[in-house]
This record gives sequence, C-alpha cells and structure tokens, in this order.
Amino acid sequence: MEVNVELRKAKKDEQILKRRNISCFSMEDLSPEKEKNPVSMLQPNSAARLTSRRNPPLNEIIEAGIIPKLVEFLGHNDNPNLQFEAAWALTNIASGTSDQTRAVVEGGAVPAFIALLSSPHMHISEQSVWALGNIAGDGPLYRDSLINLNVIPPLLALVAPTTPIGFLRNITWTLSNLCRNKNPHPPLDAIGQILPVLICLLQHNDKDILSDACWAVSYLTDGSNDRIHVVVETGILPRLVQLMGAPELSVQTPALRAIGNIVTGTDEQTQRAIDAGVLALLPQLLRHPKPTIQKEAAWTLSNIAAGPCPQIQQLITCGLLPSLVEVLDKGDFKAQKEAVWAVANFTTGGTVQQVVVLVQSGILKPLLNLLSSKDSKTILVILDTISNLFLAAEKLGETEKLCVLVEELGGLEKIEALQTHDNNIVYRAALGLLEKHFADCSGHFPDTTQDLFGQVSGRNRIWQGDFKCGIH
Amino acid sequence: MLSSVVVFLQRVLLLVASDVDALCACKILQALFQCDHVQYTLVPVSGWQELETAFLEHKDQFKYFVFINCGANVDLLEILQPEEDIILFVCDTHRPINVVNIYNETQVKLLVKQDDDLEIPAYDDLFRDEEEDEEDSGNESEGTEPSEKRRRLEEVWFFQLCWKGGGGGRSAMVMFDLAWIMSKDLNDMLWYVYVTDIGTLQRHVSRHNHRNEDDENSLSIDCMRIAFEYDLRLALYQHWSLYESLCNTCYTSASLKLWSVQGQKRLQELLADMGLPLKQVKQKFHSMDISLKENLQEMIEESANKFGMKDLRVQTFSIHFGFKNKFLASDVVYATVSLMENIEKDESETDNFIRALDSLSRSNLDKLRQGLELAKKQLRAIQQTVASCICTNLVISQGPFLYCYLMEGTPDVKLFSKPVSLCLLSKYLLKSFVCSTKNKRCKLLPLIMAAPMNVEQATVIMVGIPPETESSDKKNFFGRAFEKAAESTNSRTLHNHFDMSIIELKMEDRSKFLDALTSLLS
Repeated sequence: MEVNVELRKAKKDEQILKRRNISCFSMEDLSPEKEKNPVSMLQPNSAARLTSRRNPPLNEIIEAGIIPKLVEFLGHNDNPNLQFEAAWALTNIASGTSDQTRAVVEGGAVPAFIALLSSPHMHISEQSVWALGNIAGDGPLYRDSLINLNVIPPLLALVAPTTPIGFLRNITWTLSNLCRNKNPHPPLDAIGQILPVLICLLQHNDKDILSDACWAVSYLTDGSNDRIHVVVETGILPRLVQLMGAPELSVQTPALRAIGNIVTGTDEQTQRAIDAGVLALLPQLLRHPKPTIQKEAAWTLSNIAAGPCPQIQQLITCGLLPSLVEVLDKGDFKAQKEAVWAVANFTTGGTVQQVVVLVQSGILKPLLNLLSSKDSKTILVILDTISNLFLAAEKLGETEKLCVLVEELGGLEKIEALQTHDNNIVYRAALGLLEKHFADCSGHFPDTTQDLFGQVSGRNRIWQGDFKCGIH
Repeated sequence: MLSSVVVFLQRVLLLVASDVDALCACKILQALFQCDHVQYTLVPVSGWQELETAFLEHKDQFKYFVFINCGANVDLLEILQPEEDIILFVCDTHRPINVVNIYNETQVKLLVKQDDDLEIPAYDDLFRDEEEDEEDSGNESEGTEPSEKRRRLEEVWFFQLCWKGGGGGRSAMVMFDLAWIMSKDLNDMLWYVYVTDIGTLQRHVSRHNHRNEDDENSLSIDCMRIAFEYDLRLALYQHWSLYESLCNTCYTSASLKLWSVQGQKRLQELLADMGLPLKQVKQKFHSMDISLKENLQEMIEESANKFGMKDLRVQTFSIHFGFKNKFLASDVVYATVSLMENIEKDESETDNFIRALDSLSRSNLDKLRQGLELAKKQLRAIQQTVASCICTNLVISQGPFLYCYLMEGTPDVKLFSKPVSLCLLSKYLLKSFVCSTKNKRCKLLPLIMAAPMNVEQATVIMVGIPPETESSDKKNFFGRAFEKAAESTNSRTLHNHFDMSIIELKMEDRSKFLDALTSLLS
C-alpha cells in the first residue's frame, strides 16, 4: 500500500512537494481545459476528475485517444493508484451512451477489468465491478460477451461474509445487469452460476442489496416457463413473498414484479407461489397507496385467477374477494383494469358455485360502473364477463334474476349506452348482450331473497327501450 | 446520520493547528486516510498567516482542504476566496463559528456534533436570498428499476456530519466518531481521543478491551490495553519521582504553597503523614520499594485530603503497552506539548509538529519518552517561574484584571515565548496566585500575561486567562478586547493565533496597549 505523506514546511523557500511521476499523456485536445491552468492537465488524475464533473466532456476525452492509455494503466500492478484512477475514468466513460461504452470495450478494457476483479486492492476490484456493470448494462450483446469472457466466477468470488456492504451493493447491481435484458435472455448456464449467490444476497438485510437482487430475480423470471422454473427451484419463493411485504418501496416493487412474473407460468409454478403465502400479502398490496403496486398486485391476482378451480378456490378462502371488490370500486384506474381481468378470468375458469360466490361478494356493482371507462378493451372484457355470468346463471335457471340485478345496479343503462360507442366491437358486443339476455327480461319477481342471485327487491318496473317486454 | 461516504479521488490538503487536540484529530484522520488510500499533504499551521499562505500555495493543486482546529470563526470564503469547485472541511473547536461558514453548505463543510450549540442565528435574519424552489425529491425514484449504467461522481468523503453522542467539543472526538461510523479499527484511534478528553468514553473502552483480552493472554509485545481507572493527578509521577511530581504539579504546589518556607514544611508533613520516607520519595518512581507502592494511591489520597487537596485522585485514561510501559493521558499531553514547542534544538515549527505527531504513534515510544523528559524540564521551569513571580510580587492588579510580565533575562523565558507553554504557565500562575493571596477580589479576576517573544524583532506574546471561577470559555472575549485595545492605541499587534486570546505585539506598544485594555475592561 502506497502512502504518500508529503510534508511542507511553512517557510516559502523550502518546498518539498513531491509530484507523482505520470505525465505520459497529454490532454491538450480538451478545449474546455485549454484556457485553464495547463499544468493541471498533466496531472495523472485529470481524466478521472474530468469524468466526474457535472457535465463531463466524455466525447472529447474519447476523441483525445486517451482510452487505450487508460486501459494500459489498468495493467500496472505495481502502481495501484494509477490502476484505480484509470478504472474510475473508464467506468465513467462507459457510463455514457452506447457509443461511449463501445469505445471503452473496443479499447480492450474488458479483459483488463476482469483480471482486476482479483486485484489484492479492494478499492480496485470494486471499481472494476462497477465498470463491468456499466458495460453489461449496455445491452445483451456486451452482457453476453462479458459472460463468455468468464466474468462470472471471479465476480462471484468477491461475495463473502467479510465483504463490506458498499462493495456488496456494487456487486449485486452488476449481477443484476448480467441478468437483465431480453432478446436474447442471458444464457441459462450463466444464470445457473449466478442464482445461488443471488439467493444468498437475498438473505441480506441491506435494502439496496435487496432491491437490486430482487430486480435481478424479476429479470430472470421475465421469460419462458423454463426460466421461471430455474428460479422457483431454488426455493426462493418464501423469501420473495416476505420481501413483497418489505417496508421499503424499492424492495417491494421488484419482489412483487418477480412474483407476478412467476404466476404467469405453469399452474404448478403458480401453486408454489400460493404455497409460499402470496395470497396473504395481496390484500394490503391491492390497497397500497402507490398506484404501481396496486396495479401489479391486481395483475398478479388476475393471473392466479386464470388458474384451475382449486386455485380459484384458494382466492376465495384466502379472502381475496373483498379486496378485489375494493380495487374495482376505488382503486387506481390501472389497477382497476387489471382487476377487471381478474374477474373475467375468474368467471371463465371458475365453477358455477365459485361464480356465485363471486357475485355475492358484491363484484357486480363496481364492475358495471367500469363500463363507463374510456378504455375499450376494459369494456369488452367486462361485457365478456357479463356473458360468462349469464352462462352460470343459465345453469342455475336464474338468468332473470341476473337481469334484474344488472339492471338494478345501473348496468343495463350503461350497456344500452354502449350501443352508441365509437368502437364497433364494443357496440356489437353490447348489442349482442342486450339481444341475448335482456330481451326476455320482465318486471315482476317474487319477494324472496333466498335464491342464489337474489339481491333484488321485488319491484315492478317498466322496461324501456326497443325490446318488448313480456309479462311472465 | 452520515450523509454520504465515498473515497476521495483528489488529494487532500490537511491544515492542522498546533495544539494537542488538533494533533490527535490529525492522527485519527491520517489513519482513516491510509485505510482508504486517500492521498494527502499535511501542513502544520501555527496561525492565520500560515493558513492563508498554505492555502494560496496549494489552491491550484488541491480541491479538498481540511482544517483541523482552525478556520471556524472567520469567514473562510471571504478570506481565502476559493474557486467554486474547492471544498473546505472544518473541524474546529473554536467558537463561535462564523455564520457564513454555517450557512454556506456547498463550499464549507463543518464537522460538528449534533448537540454542539453553535449559536446559529436564524438564516432569514441574516441573508436575504431569492427563494429557491425545492426540488421534489425522492419518492418518485423509489420503486423504479435500477439504472443500466452509473457514473461515479467525485463525491466527498464526509459531509456535514451530525450525529448523537455526548462529549465535549474536541476535534479528536469528532474524528473518532467519523472513524466509528466508518467501522474502522478503532483501538488506536481511541487513545488519541483520550489524550485530549478525559471524558465520557468509558463504554468504548470496555467494548474494545474485550477484543484485546485475547491478545494479552498471548503475551504479545504489541498488545495495547486502554484502561479507565483511578490514578493520581500528579504530573508524570510514574516517569519521575514522587517528590518531583509533587513539587511540580500545579495542584499540589499551589495548594501547599510550595514557594514559601511554610509550604516546604507542609510538604514534609504531608510526606510524613503518607508514611513515605524522603529518600524513597526522591527516587525514581519505578525504583521505589514495592511495599510502599502498594496502596499508594489510597494512602496519598487520604493524606492529601487532610491537607485540603480533595481531588488528588481522579479517574483517568491510561494506556498500557505490554507490562512495562504505562502512560496516563496527561503524561502524553505534557509530552506532546513539550515536543511541539521544543526550543532546545534550533528546528522549525514544522519539524517539531511532526515529531510531536510521531510521538503519538505507539511505535515511537522513544519519542514519547523524549517528550516526557522535555516535559519535566518544562514543568520545573514553570514551577520555578511561578514561585519567583509570586515571591517578587510580579503579579499586579490592574483593576479589572491581573497582569504579569516576564522580563527578558528571566530564567527559561525562552520557553515561554511559545503560546501553549505560556498559557500553561499563566494558568498555573493564576491558580497559585489565587492560593497565595488573601484578597478575595483577586480570585475573580482574569490574568493577562506577557513574555518576550522575539528579542530581535522586539515583540511580546500576550495571553488572556479567564478567572478561576469562570467555567465557560471566555477566550473570544479576550480576543475582542485585544482587538479594540490595539485599534484605539494604534498598537502594532498580530492576531495570528487561532486562539483569539493569544496575540503578539511590539514591545514598545506594550504600556499604552495595557492602559487601553485597562480602561476598556473597567
């Protein structure tokens, strides 16, 4: 370890300032610096200092042809300070645009940085981790070339119980970039190497480490079912579910995203998530103050509701229906859209009994209210859902009751209004619904509320509109 | 909580005042820098002129300046006119802090403790600024994906730090807390803090010594143990003889009035009461009979009590290196001061500073011992000077203050041309004087002491010492008084010391200056 302690006597005539010896590159081409003190340009740490400024002249630095020199400095094992400052400068250049990152890569920095991962000086290996993170973050191309150059083993070797937290944070972030990006996804064997360490990092309690690690998992689960499989097999689900309930938004968000991705997989994979306890946490997330959390929770719910009947049943038994109703009623509009899908899926895959329970939970009112949404897709999904409800009602012989219910809740009006909707498909779907189910609707019904759809008060009503209303 | 902690990219210039606290703080900071490979240049500064000169000479090469025990009470930006990208860190116990330093957060970073009463006036009372829109920070960036690329900014190592914790205003403690926050290896640094502040760090000691226990069992020469325990408030006694220590410690000397014949008699009586034969007591402490050293502290305490000295035994920090080397915190303070202000060799202030700094490293025990020898000479000189001043009635009352002038030709007068030594002498003199006089009013007066500083230049160094009864720090009070007196008489004075109660003035101007001071403070 070099320690330069320089002493300076107070008397002006005795100056013992030592100057460091590196001045083998000049920065004369950097015009902003030209007017200023030319001596400072010859300082060895000029490049790093310049790149750390508010508006760094990265392009000028690149054009000055400094990069190959900086890369060369990375190899000076006898001069760690030089290595460190070159690493810092290159990190910052690589943090810029794709072109700037490319300049660093084409300067031959990658193998040098990978070698420095094993430097005996921690600050140098840490800086290298950072630089490589920037390069990997540029896109799948560089990510994969780093992987092919064997970046993963020395990187993972840096994770130890004694590794300082700041360093761990950097490593986690770089790992997340190695998991990031699709088209193509990272190679499966690389993921297989990274996952165990990632799982380890997820046990930590530093929120920054957790956040980046969860993001990494969310990237890994954002793909085909076999990618989801690899992640689920690590047994990470309970921890992910736990992190979904973390107080920090920065941890909650990616944990939820990861879980949301997982339940887009197979029924078995979804079941694993359910078994890990995700349903217990969804209600609070469905009413989370942050709209994105609400939305993604609802999206997750909608995908679980697309599962087989036993999973739908679990939604019921775990008390998700009241939360669903609440979202439809008062949630953020993006969350509402997802909730609509949840209901639709529920009614598609659920048994008649389950659908009944759904209706009994009070889902219809807020659902029908959303017919006034501006989003055509949502309207169509709702209309579809209503069709599904009628299918169930038919099996119970309660279509009339459903009619009345819909009408009571103001739904009929809304559907009728849709006949004048701009969107053709919406218009036709509304029309179809009205023709099929509301043509035979009539007014008089018994008072009893014992029937399964019964939420109506018996009341005469006058049917308005184009349809004949016979009296039964 | 710490705002942000990252490594410096640039080199740092350390400007360190010449006092023990600054030395200790500097030592800690150096250790922190070495841990994190921060390159720095160290410039000891003994006053404002040196500070300004050092800054001017380095401002083009450094971006970060750290001021230890200097700089807080002037408008640094005004005086130094730093470029926009230069950042000044100030760790200074001198109060009050100049308001500009407090309110300019971008260029001046103050290292203070949270409960330090900075006496900050409200910002709006001072500055009429345009209102800046506050950035809507934070929440929007939470929950977003991590950036794909990150630039490493030239963040600074420590910002304005505020944190909980007691302890008096000591720069070394500030630096120590910084090290603590950065989870550095602390035992060595802890010692530097103890040297300056026999304070409230008991808890730190127990935690650290648990770690050291294993070391002791292995009988390593390197093993170092810090203890907080009772010991005698007798200067350097374990490195001297008990007799010399009793004679040359201000507390005992003043209480017994050792400058007088009766005083000497009392000393004999005290020793007899302690059951300590004179021959033994005059031997080197280490050579004293072991049987006498048993229960020594209790014996001395009991006897001293009878003679009106109730505080002879106090709790203090001590450091033990192996079995043979034990130093009390006060020992180190005396040694360090003596090294810093050493007049024996004709060496520069900087060399002395560095030697004093080095003596704080445990690998330099020989330097520390050298300092102890110098300290003994210094303490003897102080006692003799005090005795002489009292016996020849050199301390006179000017009315609002006591005054004493050491004439040229006084033995050891050269020692007292140095600020810390002179202050030490003055404090001891005041204490002794108060004990010597029946005049109750004198006990309430401050003391202004002057001594020749540079004979060729005919300058005098003058210090102001607050009265015995005052507990608060009245140094800036003297500073202002000195300035005013100088102004009103056109005296040629130099207010170069960071401690405002210390000035230099031309010998010729001494009397008119004094007169002005007298009327000012009446």
